[in-house]
Amino acid sequence: MSVSLSKGGNVSLAKADPTMTKILVGLGWDPRATDGQDFDLDASAFLLTSTGKVRGDNDFIFYNNLSDAAQSVVHTGDNRTGAGDGDDESLKVDLTKIPAEVDKIAFTVTIHDAEVRRQSFGQVGGAFIRLVNDATGVEVARYDLSEDASTETAMIFGELYRHNNEWKFRAVGQGYAGGLKDMCGLYGISAS
Amino acid sequence: MGVSLKKGGNVSLTKEAPTMKTAIAGLGWDMRVTDGSAFDLDASVFMVGADEKVISDASFIFFNNKTSPCGSVVHQGDNRTGEGAGDDETVALHFDKIPAEVQKLVFAVTIHEAEERKQNFGMVSNAYIRIVNADNNTEIARFDLSEDASTETAMNFGELYRHNAEWKFKAVGQGFAGGLSALAKQYGVNVD
Repeated sequence: MSVSLSKGGNVSLAKADPTMTKILVGLGWDPRATDGQDFDLDASAFLLTSTGKVRGDNDFIFYNNLSDAAQSVVHTGDNRTGAGDGDDESLKVDLTKIPAEVDKIAFTVTIHDAEVRRQSFGQVGGAFIRLVNDATGVEVARYDLSEDASTETAMIFGELYRHNNEWKFRAVGQGYAGGLKDMCGLYGISAS
Repeated sequence: MGVSLKKGGNVSLTKEAPTMKTAIAGLGWDMRVTDGSAFDLDASVFMVGADEKVISDASFIFFNNKTSPCGSVVHQGDNRTGEGAGDDETVALHFDKIPAEVQKLVFAVTIHEAEERKQNFGMVSNAYIRIVNADNNTEIARFDLSEDASTETAMNFGELYRHNAEWKFKAVGQGFAGGLSALAKQYGVNVD
């Protein structure tokens, strides 16, 4: 039975599904009023140490860097497969392969060229992040982002993090008006 | 030697720290890095009598009423963003000045304008409240608000209470709906 999270809430994965070691993190959204240019939303992940920063640029997983060195987080690419109930993009996480120094993985969504196209999350509805046990296909947790009208162009949907030797997931739903650039700055990536 | 309490636990301060003259309730949190209103957490203390109500309106110590009439409880000031390392807000307690009619001191933490700003403790990073023996800087109890009070907006953290002629501290850690003004009303403060 899937745990439905509210913003700020967190859940222990070991308690929600003790057998789960491989997770499919699915992100989805329905762009609402389109008036001209399409929305190009990109899902990414940042592998963070206890300092809240990446170890190197290779820990920023996105469509041009599909996995980290340990293959603990793998981006499945820009494809819409239709499987998995409407996930638009997904990342696969193998809990057993996450390096010991990685304390947290932030799952984010950004709007490509948001400034140029004058787009923001305020125009995006039906956004969610969910965790599925990749071995069984069963959804374990879900966070439906409420439609707060917002000027953000980059958003942290949720975070997988270590707490007292277990993995937990927290529903974040907070973002940046400054887009991917601001977010990369926060996580210690020299974005160009 | 300090005793670190879990929720629901209690400790005799008279036994553990028989010479303690001053305790400090310390509240800390990280500044917001994502966009949106700052997180403004507030520490308060209710000095209550045997009827579980404050002995006077002036015995509700918070950012707008910093010193109790007896001088035993002193709030060091309002921090509205969490800026600064360590405890961001502190309330000092001087044991030898607590009036005989005060049976209990209730420590609370609330998020300012939580409803309007749509915030809860889970959205704040590294939020905690703790009690420290100020004479030797030993921590007596600590509660992780971000982790364990995640969807709450107000909390009764703990209570200092008289029991058989000694002072004890009980870690309560229970959330409270309705914010600071509802909490104040419960303890008999005239709120207008």
